[in-house]
Amino acid sequence: MSDNPYQDDRGNHDLTITRPGNEGQLGSHPGTGQPMETSEAFLIGDSMTGGYGKGPDILHECTIAVNRGEIAVIVGPNGAGKSTAMKAVFGMLDLRQGSVRLDGQDITDLSPQDRVAKGMGFVPQNANIFTSMTVEENLEMGAFIRRDDIRPTMEQVYELFPILRDKRRQAAGELSGGQRQQVAVGRALMTHPKVLMLDEPTAGVSPIVMDELFDRIIEVARTGIPILMVEQNARQALAIADKGYVMVQGRNAFTGTGKELLADPEVRKSFLGG
Amino acid sequence: MNPVIKNSALFALMAMLILLTGIMQSWNSALLILNMGLVSAVMALGVNLQWGFAGLFNVGVMGFVALGGLATVLISMPPVPAAWAAGGPGVLLGLLLGAASIGVAIWAYPRLPRGRVRVLGMTVILVIGFIIFRRVFDPAVEAIEAVDPATSGYLGGLGLWVVLSWPVGGVLAAGAAWIIGKSALGLRSDYLAIATLGIAEIVIAVLKNEDWLSRGVKNVIGLPRPVPNEVDLQNDPAFVEQATSLGLDPMTASSLYVKLGYALMFTVVLLILLWLAQKALHSPWGRMMRAIRDNETAAEAMGKDVKGRHLQVFILGSAICGIAGAMMTTLDGQLTPGTYQPLRFTFLIWVMVIVGGSGNNLGAVLGGFLIWFLWVQVEPISALAMEVITAGMAEDSPVRGHLLESAAQLRLLTMGVVLLLVLRFSPRGLIPEK
Amino acid sequence: MEFLNAIVALSNYVLVPALAYGSQLALGALGVTLIYGILRFSNFAHGDTMAFGTMITILMTWWMQSVGIGLGPLPTALLALPFGIAGCAAMVLLTDRVVYRFYRAQKVKPVILVIVSMGVMFVMNGLVRFVIGPGDQRFADGERFIITALDFRMMTGLKEGLAIKTTQGITLVTAVIVVGVLFWFLTHTRTGKSMRAYSDNEDLALLSGINPERVVLVTWLIVAALATVAGTLYGLDKSFKPFTYFQLLLPIFASAIVGGLGSPLGAIAGGFVIAFSEVTITYAWKKVLVYLMPESLEPSGLVQLMSTDYKFAVSFVILLIVLLFRPTGLFRGKAV
Repeated sequence: MSDNPYQDDRGNHDLTITRPGNEGQLGSHPGTGQPMETSEAFLIGDSMTGGYGKGPDILHECTIAVNRGEIAVIVGPNGAGKSTAMKAVFGMLDLRQGSVRLDGQDITDLSPQDRVAKGMGFVPQNANIFTSMTVEENLEMGAFIRRDDIRPTMEQVYELFPILRDKRRQAAGELSGGQRQQVAVGRALMTHPKVLMLDEPTAGVSPIVMDELFDRIIEVARTGIPILMVEQNARQALAIADKGYVMVQGRNAFTGTGKELLADPEVRKSFLGG
Repeated sequence: MNPVIKNSALFALMAMLILLTGIMQSWNSALLILNMGLVSAVMALGVNLQWGFAGLFNVGVMGFVALGGLATVLISMPPVPAAWAAGGPGVLLGLLLGAASIGVAIWAYPRLPRGRVRVLGMTVILVIGFIIFRRVFDPAVEAIEAVDPATSGYLGGLGLWVVLSWPVGGVLAAGAAWIIGKSALGLRSDYLAIATLGIAEIVIAVLKNEDWLSRGVKNVIGLPRPVPNEVDLQNDPAFVEQATSLGLDPMTASSLYVKLGYALMFTVVLLILLWLAQKALHSPWGRMMRAIRDNETAAEAMGKDVKGRHLQVFILGSAICGIAGAMMTTLDGQLTPGTYQPLRFTFLIWVMVIVGGSGNNLGAVLGGFLIWFLWVQVEPISALAMEVITAGMAEDSPVRGHLLESAAQLRLLTMGVVLLLVLRFSPRGLIPEK
Repeated sequence: MEFLNAIVALSNYVLVPALAYGSQLALGALGVTLIYGILRFSNFAHGDTMAFGTMITILMTWWMQSVGIGLGPLPTALLALPFGIAGCAAMVLLTDRVVYRFYRAQKVKPVILVIVSMGVMFVMNGLVRFVIGPGDQRFADGERFIITALDFRMMTGLKEGLAIKTTQGITLVTAVIVVGVLFWFLTHTRTGKSMRAYSDNEDLALLSGINPERVVLVTWLIVAALATVAGTLYGLDKSFKPFTYFQLLLPIFASAIVGGLGSPLGAIAGGFVIAFSEVTITYAWKKVLVYLMPESLEPSGLVQLMSTDYKFAVSFVILLIVLLFRPTGLFRGKAV
């Protein structure tokens, strides 16, 4: 492993933790006016417009896509609709326009629960573990929809997050913030997802723990599972991102690879603070 | 439909029901329903104040009603001098010492260092206080209860005009509400519910056991009345003459006269309380109350003293229940602690408020009348229904016997079904909050 | 010898009855706490659910007694218990389908559900009174005692006797079995774990693909079983009267809250805390103290802290103390 995780080219693609699916086939990219390479996107929320219930629209023609084996990161100022965009992809929002497609299949009309069954692993920002249950039980609950043998998957999760193996008999609520997030990600991985979605995984943890968490996320990505992530810490997130989406007021403001965005003077000036 | 017309129609319908009872059964039962309906309406007003205005979940109505009943005894019954001589001062001193030891405990609590010392200190204070209390209190109680136990055996009351007991009943209930409100109002709604349920049971236990105070299960009968006695009326030649001139026999006439007297007094009380409650509802205080109910956090953030307001409204509502309880005991003419049951005196009042329309005073009043009417009339109706159902069965069939015998129990079932139907299909009640 | 006599008297009048009563309360409180954890409301109809299940058991017992089926020294009611559970389960599932499900779909506030449960309480209470009547019913048969006071005195030569009623023994044994099975179910089966997960974090449970309606169904089944067992044991030990069962609501809720609402372990602890406090505070200690104190200091009175009728006050005061000083209960329950 290279010393700097952000420079890693993640050559180690171990796809066994994911559910192998059909290759996605997408048509031309939608007319958002934003040039985007989405033809081979594995998961795409395509020109989504909508809000909560009958409320006003929060998202406007917003497009978020993740490619196979990549990390896509949504960043933006507070209230820009980052988490809302992710929730829209996960079906927790009423879309008035646009569609969501996973692995070439249109899932716009599915409920979040059905999307989980289709292979979307979602880690909410808050309350993302069962605090009164042990770590191992948390992982078991993650695999609740599966009827096959879950032990190999659990073994893989323990390999990704070694600390969880040590604490597997402890109540998850007794763990530290960073460990809880690992439990949360582990639980989502137990569903055998085709894609992993993380809503601000580093919110509320100390900088040291945050670095550790990013390392872990890269480790997970290295298994080959596509990751879509919302992040407050834009710099660090973009540094590990294959694709970055800068959102402003519910719209795509800038799109590009993480390196491009970090280098983009406009992004730096208006958003990253110089 | 215009709400004013609709509400008038509903009240007119209620009046029709009572009139119909008068025509079909007897005017006596109609007036009985009316009187208890008035009392129930007052109770419902009290609960509505707490639940409808402030969202406080009080299921201890029975306790406050019973305290009102106790007030009637304490105010109106003549004192028993022998009992006072035997143990009056002892009981008072005992109670005072008991209160004092609790006071000392409360005083000492913050002054003792945390941890073991505090636990030990509190235990010592309370145990010693309890022993002293029992040492003084027990012999006095024994002495009082030994005084002519068949007819008195208690301290008696103050021998004042019985109507005075109505406000006093309110004050007693308010005092109890203050104590429980202070300790339990900060709790979550269902904890408050259990706490109030408990206090009601304790009040009843006190009434049943503290014979020196309320004669316990021996009951206090023959309470003075604010209206003339039927027998006196029947012996009054002027009254008899008037009755016969109206075409009534003196017996019926006297009983109607007495009940009408009660009805008049209760109506006055109900109208005053209703007027006050309406005033309160539309005052800034009432608006604030509802604001707190709808969003406690926001109200607190705006600087409203949520706990203080809750305590206020809790005390007021309980006081109204106490007034109603005193009125009811006055109407009954006796205090029978054994008859207080939570289903009848707590949960039935809740059915009244929910069915009538929580948050609306008129709704609560209507609910009070309607549910009381049902409560009384379901029994003959279900008995009749059972007669019809079992008409085809053999005369000596055990099933028939059981069904006829159990018809009276259908009352509770009906109330439950009414409550569930209203909750499901008209959750805001007959007269919804605007 | 004096000391042994004191211990025997204590066991006879305080420990054994409190253990039996505590087990009954614990089983009742477990039902309340499960409903609170999964369906998220305080079920005021629980006392009447217990009465309903017990009523079915009693009816079956009477039928069995009339045709001569019995368990010999054990009460016939044990044989009728499964029928009671089945009847009670059918009843609560019907209630859930007809009443509660609608409100669940509306996602109403918990307090509305409490009021709804008040309606259910009325209906069940009325139903029980209609079918079996409001009076006292006795249905215990078989041997009355495991060991009588006389036998015990003969056996040990002590002055004090220790009587253990069959019903007390059965209560304890049944409670241990039921609680054991319940905890095994909750910690070792997929369904049990999914119930705990649902109780812990509903949204995340949904995300994990746990079917809420199934969890609710299983919960009601368990609650029906617990309520019927608790009610039947209480009825065997004392007697069956619909109103008494309604009144059990207070000590049962006190147990559940003292232990921490939503925590099964807490419900059990709470049940015993309440039972032991009630019995010790309303027990006349003279009988024990005469053995322990020198003759000159022997108490003249009964040394009863409070009359038995104040047992509600005991539950209530413990409840208040716990709520004021440790609002989540002894075993951190959950707050909705």
